[in-house]
Amino acid sequence: MSRPDDRAPLRVEGLSLLTSRDILLDRLSFAIEAGEVLALSGGAGAGKTLLLRALAGLAPKGVTVLGDIHIRGRRLLVTQDGALDPFRTLGAQFAELLSRQSGLDERTALRRAAEALERFQVPAAARRLALHPHELGEAMRWRAALALAMAAEPALLLADAPAAALDPTQRVRLLSDLAAWTREAGTALLLAGRPQADPIRSGLARSNLADRRLVLAQGRLEVPPAEPTPAPSPAEPAPSGPPVLSVRDLRVAFPLGRNWRGEERWLTVVDGLSIELAEGETLALLGETGSGKSVLARAILRLVPPVGGQVTWLGTDLAAAPPETMRRARRDLQILFPDPLAAFDPLMTIGAQLAETLESLHPSRSPANSAARLADALEEVGLPAAVLDLHPGALLPAEAARAGLARALLPEPRLLVCDEPAATLDGSERADFLALLQAIRRRRRLALLYATQDAAEGLRIGRRALVLLLGRIVESADSAILTAGARHPYSRALIAAAGLAPPALHGDPPSPLRPPTGCALRLRCPLAHDGCAQVPPTLDPVAPGHRVACHVAQDDAQNDAQVGGKAP
Amino acid sequence: MHEPAGTDPHWRDGPWQKAGQRLTAHRPAAAGLTVLAALMLAVAAGLVAGGGPVGAALAAGHQSLSFALLAGLGGAALGLLWGGAAVALGERAERMMMTPAAALTGLPLALALPLAGGLLGPERGLAPMAVVAALIAAPAVAVIARDELRALLRREFLSAVQAAGIPNGRRLRRHILPNTVLPLAAAAWTALPRALMAESLASLLGLGLPEGVTGWGTAIGAAARAGDAVALAGPALLLALTLWALHGVGDGMRLAFTASTPGGRR
Ligand code: SF4
Repeated sequence: MSRPDDRAPLRVEGLSLLTSRDILLDRLSFAIEAGEVLALSGGAGAGKTLLLRALAGLAPKGVTVLGDIHIRGRRLLVTQDGALDPFRTLGAQFAELLSRQSGLDERTALRRAAEALERFQVPAAARRLALHPHELGEAMRWRAALALAMAAEPALLLADAPAAALDPTQRVRLLSDLAAWTREAGTALLLAGRPQADPIRSGLARSNLADRRLVLAQGRLEVPPAEPTPAPSPAEPAPSGPPVLSVRDLRVAFPLGRNWRGEERWLTVVDGLSIELAEGETLALLGETGSGKSVLARAILRLVPPVGGQVTWLGTDLAAAPPETMRRARRDLQILFPDPLAAFDPLMTIGAQLAETLESLHPSRSPANSAARLADALEEVGLPAAVLDLHPGALLPAEAARAGLARALLPEPRLLVCDEPAATLDGSERADFLALLQAIRRRRRLALLYATQDAAEGLRIGRRALVLLLGRIVESADSAILTAGARHPYSRALIAAAGLAPPALHGDPPSPLRPPTGCALRLRCPLAHDGCAQVPPTLDPVAPGHRVACHVAQDDAQNDAQVGGKAP
Repeated sequence: MHEPAGTDPHWRDGPWQKAGQRLTAHRPAAAGLTVLAALMLAVAAGLVAGGGPVGAALAAGHQSLSFALLAGLGGAALGLLWGGAAVALGERAERMMMTPAAALTGLPLALALPLAGGLLGPERGLAPMAVVAALIAAPAVAVIARDELRALLRREFLSAVQAAGIPNGRRLRRHILPNTVLPLAAAAWTALPRALMAESLASLLGLGLPEGVTGWGTAIGAAARAGDAVALAGPALLLALTLWALHGVGDGMRLAFTASTPGGRR
């Protein structure tokens, strides 16, 4: 660590947290200067929350705190749930805080509160002050909680995984606004949260979120490698040959019941999507909540019924396939679920469930043979054979993810559909699991359909990528092209967020029940013009193999082409 | 990470044991179970020993508890059938069957038992009263059972079963039915306190258990009319204790068997 500065808002020397049996944190030393942003990461259970609580003077009972914590000025902890008083309006909470602290009268306090919310780009902030926390969306609640914390003018703000449940574009925007504010106010900010294993390097704006990063692992602090190596773009040649999987005009919608006039209402989740996948190809589906990526993944395997369109595997239309054909197709098509633990029947052992899968998809094998196969499958994913005797409840998240992978590999599939398969994993566990998945994919020459909201991860894994927004494709290109220069404003925002740079989108996503007319991004898009409200953009090529659904991007591409055409 | 926690003696405990542990870890449930067991023993002992106000109260408990058990089991069975059939028969049937159930749970159904008692007159038999009490308990069970079944059918592992190409019959037998046991047991349990409550209320008014059968409600009613505080205290206390225990166990079952069932965590 750098030389301790006596005026730093936070200086920690040799901090250890012990219980009677364990050392939870082991001799940590660090400091945060005024106006500095320190990002603290570490896997689940690494002790981030514990450290923050100890720094806030709220160490749990039975934990001994050794070492020195020097804090100058007021410290404030924002807990993981971003707790606000549920029974009082935002305005009342601001007014109480500001009057207690700076003796402001109510009018001035409310004006301050509105200003504070405006720093987080809350439109019509003054009106929101009359609302109770439960009347706000998740994103707005976080903005309010952080604005309230900052209005208290702390010298040190400890934020524990703030806004972790929000979509990346919203979360990174929010944290960037917070960091800008703490820097300006000279507040030291400690941001704990999920590590960005490998922030993406793209042609877009660079991250200025944190000044320094520290990693908490096994109770100790580590400085991460200064600059993550740029993601090597998958150097595999484009697979040629006819597509094995082809999805045409797929539509999935769920009935919402009838409205007061008795008309049936539907929520369209996947809206006429078409994709093709060649043998051994990897395709990433990038999108946030409500993009339809996960439903698309399931509709391909017929786990949710489509209302229209076609899914064809090796020339067979799966929608019309008789059960026997479908079962044979299921051998080839397997899936990884976002919560691997929930994807196992809690009442059966892992072994029984693996055996059942094998028996269902490859019925002819002898018992001895299948036992050997189960053991092999576990070995391939790095689990001991003893896991076969366990019930899912006894597995850790990382083990469950691997067991899920083992089950998917048992029938020797040719396409693995992954729906955020590492969503429950953090830090090195996540990286290990993804490395394993990649290695297995290469060894077995699997085709991969990888749905994720983390653009960095998706672009690293997929050779090609589709960006989905409200059930439609807004951009599709090779990952390398998207990394270097995505054209759709939403793709750019997703990629920026993956690199922890503030995404250029404002506001919150529209409700999927009432999407805006014209372009679905219109209300958040920085480039929107009148035309965007009238004509929904279609997905058209802007370069060979690169298609975009955006009026402005298409015009730009055309201009580029013309300029390029005149030049020689 | 790759060695299962072998040092912990519980690491192999199956899901059923775990559910039991979760139930007894819930204090009111553990206390409730103890109280119920003690009551059963005391009632049985009271029948043998008999005599005195305590013996009388315990003997009355025998009648009340038997009735509650009978009517409660009936109501639970009916409610489970109701909720189960609604889910099994498809969406339209579900709406048609569950709308009345939901509406009925909003009504003060317990009043229907004394009403039935009055209508049936003093010559009423035990069986019709038990049937009415069962009917009273059933709608709430049906609503809870339906919700639990719906939640179960949404769970991810059933998608995984489908992805494994397992036929529907086997999926139902091997995966759905076993996983319904605990949540439905929690749903069924709610019929017991409801039946006991309805019976005691009706008996208190003299319109519950038939003449000659003395339950707690009957004993409380008689003591109140006679102004005998000592005779009133015993059955009233025992009734309150039983209801409290039944609710405690019910709460525990709901917490232990539904929300936090492994894989269904939220
Ligand atoms: S079509 Fe218009 S609103 Fe939509 S992304 Fe392009 S510029 Fe933005």
